[in-house]
Amino acid sequence: MDPTTAMYISQGIHGITYGMILFLIASGLNIIFGMMGILNLAHASFFMLSGYFCHQVLVLTGNFWIALIVAPLFTALFGILLERVCLSRISAFGHLGELILTVGVAQVILALVKIFWGTENIPISVPPVFAGMVSIGGLVYPVYRLFVIGMALGVLAFMLLLLYKTRVGKIVRAAVSDRDMVNALGINIPLVFMIIFGVGTWLAGVAGVAIAPILTVFPGLADQVGMDAFIVVVTGGFGSLTGAFIVSIIFGLLSSFGVQFFSQLAPVLIVGFMAVVLIIRPNGLFGVEE
Amino acid sequence: MMNKTMKMVFWIVLLLILVFYPRLFGIYYTNLFVSFAVFAVFAVSLNMLLGYTGLLSFGHAMFFGTGGYATALALKHIQGMTVLPAVGIGFLAAMILALVLCPLVVRVSGTAFAMLHLAFGQLMYVLALKFRNITGGEDGIGNFPIPDLNFFGVISIGMKGNPVNFYYLAMVILGVSLWLMWFLTKTPFGQIQTGIRDNAKRIDYLGYKVPQTKAVVYVISGAFAGIAGSVYGLFHNLVSADGSLGILVSFVPITAVMVGGMGSFFGPIWGTAIFQIIEEIVLRFTDRVELVMGLMLILIIMFAPRGFTGLVNTLKMKWQAYAAVRSGMEKKT
Repeated sequence: MDPTTAMYISQGIHGITYGMILFLIASGLNIIFGMMGILNLAHASFFMLSGYFCHQVLVLTGNFWIALIVAPLFTALFGILLERVCLSRISAFGHLGELILTVGVAQVILALVKIFWGTENIPISVPPVFAGMVSIGGLVYPVYRLFVIGMALGVLAFMLLLLYKTRVGKIVRAAVSDRDMVNALGINIPLVFMIIFGVGTWLAGVAGVAIAPILTVFPGLADQVGMDAFIVVVTGGFGSLTGAFIVSIIFGLLSSFGVQFFSQLAPVLIVGFMAVVLIIRPNGLFGVEE
Repeated sequence: MMNKTMKMVFWIVLLLILVFYPRLFGIYYTNLFVSFAVFAVFAVSLNMLLGYTGLLSFGHAMFFGTGGYATALALKHIQGMTVLPAVGIGFLAAMILALVLCPLVVRVSGTAFAMLHLAFGQLMYVLALKFRNITGGEDGIGNFPIPDLNFFGVISIGMKGNPVNFYYLAMVILGVSLWLMWFLTKTPFGQIQTGIRDNAKRIDYLGYKVPQTKAVVYVISGAFAGIAGSVYGLFHNLVSADGSLGILVSFVPITAVMVGGMGSFFGPIWGTAIFQIIEEIVLRFTDRVELVMGLMLILIIMFAPRGFTGLVNTLKMKWQAYAAVRSGMEKKT
């Protein structure tokens, strides 16, 4: 394989990896918004928190796989706590209050992270199984990134099965379209909300652990990746998983090839893409009219 | 309630306090007050959209930043520029930006409006970061000349390195802006605005033009945010992407409006004041401003969801009810 093709392919896989991470975060954000109408601006902070939990578990046990299981669960626990203690009590006062509250939560998480783990970049080592490089037809590529893509696809498949093949998924889909009616049919909506919020933050947690070895863990992580994930949800359309998936991949590719060809202007490409999409379709690519 | 003389006395006392403020409290608190006034105007301009017309913008900082950058660029590059025209250029630049955007954004409302602004706000932010040769990138434009305030060559008042003089200039500009916005909410046009927030369809049936009204409010709101940004840039002698255009700058007025109370004109001003005071006190004891501010925000939203003015109104109503019950009991005995 000649170097140019190899470069294109490896940049492409880079982009897809980042797109997958974005999708994991964006899908959680999307489910929470689609179902509960809450724009969770602390979502990226949970993502970052999970990275720190991963670091902590690694310090305690030294096993990446335990971290991959435990850290997202702890993150989800915090998410559920937030939903129970704060969000469920103020839902009567409209969505703006919830939004501002999550801004407060994001600030608190950022401050706490700085207190507990400091402000330095914490490197997370790639698990030994995936530490090496793999050679695909002459292209040498780190195995770990391929693993991330595979894992994200696995989570996506799991989510789709859950949503479209189980009773819980049916309830969730029904509640997205008419929450009051589902409630009237005798289904415990507050409980469903709690589970949904938990699952959403769990997804952010999985993404946080997955990206930790690639980007290292640092307090600015939430801002850096969170904004991109938020833009993905906005561009793809709120409440649309398909939209989030497609736009995640587009953004991943845009940012990796953008860095390759325009270097400085890559962020402009992404934001410009969002602006153009929103001008044509104000509710996002796959969003539904309000 | 308050009669006319009382009101007059109140305003005169307020004016006197403002005039003698730098003498009374010293330079540190003077600067603090300028910063408060800038963000108060910014928050009130956002409230024109959010509280009075029901449009939430996640990108109001783009007007704030545009005002700041325009003023800074004008002072840096145009020879013989004086202060007031520079602020005027900031105002005009933000106004033009709002005029360009308004045909696009007035068609939508609700979440779509907020998201569209997020997009444009981020676009402006990224552009300001990347076009280094114009905007200075991450460093922003700093240390641009601030000329003296000049009235037709007759009187010249030094501005640079003279915070007290700058305080008076800022007070006049921001005070006039606040008064204009307040005046606008009292006009019939202001009533249509509130009408659009409460029931846009009905206003449409009554024969008022909803998109056009929204556009006018939008342009006015943007232009005043531009003034606030322009004065902010002059005050710090620095305009930077993170300080004037970032997403966090957009959240400052939103939180101020929420904390102060939406839909009341003075709510955002209270909100800004509360945040400034808390920040000031917290900084005395700890560097963890984020933690305390975040907790405050959570607590305020949870326990006073209608903001400060809402809290005051509730307490007032409770007090009136209590007083009524007591006077009733006294009559009986």
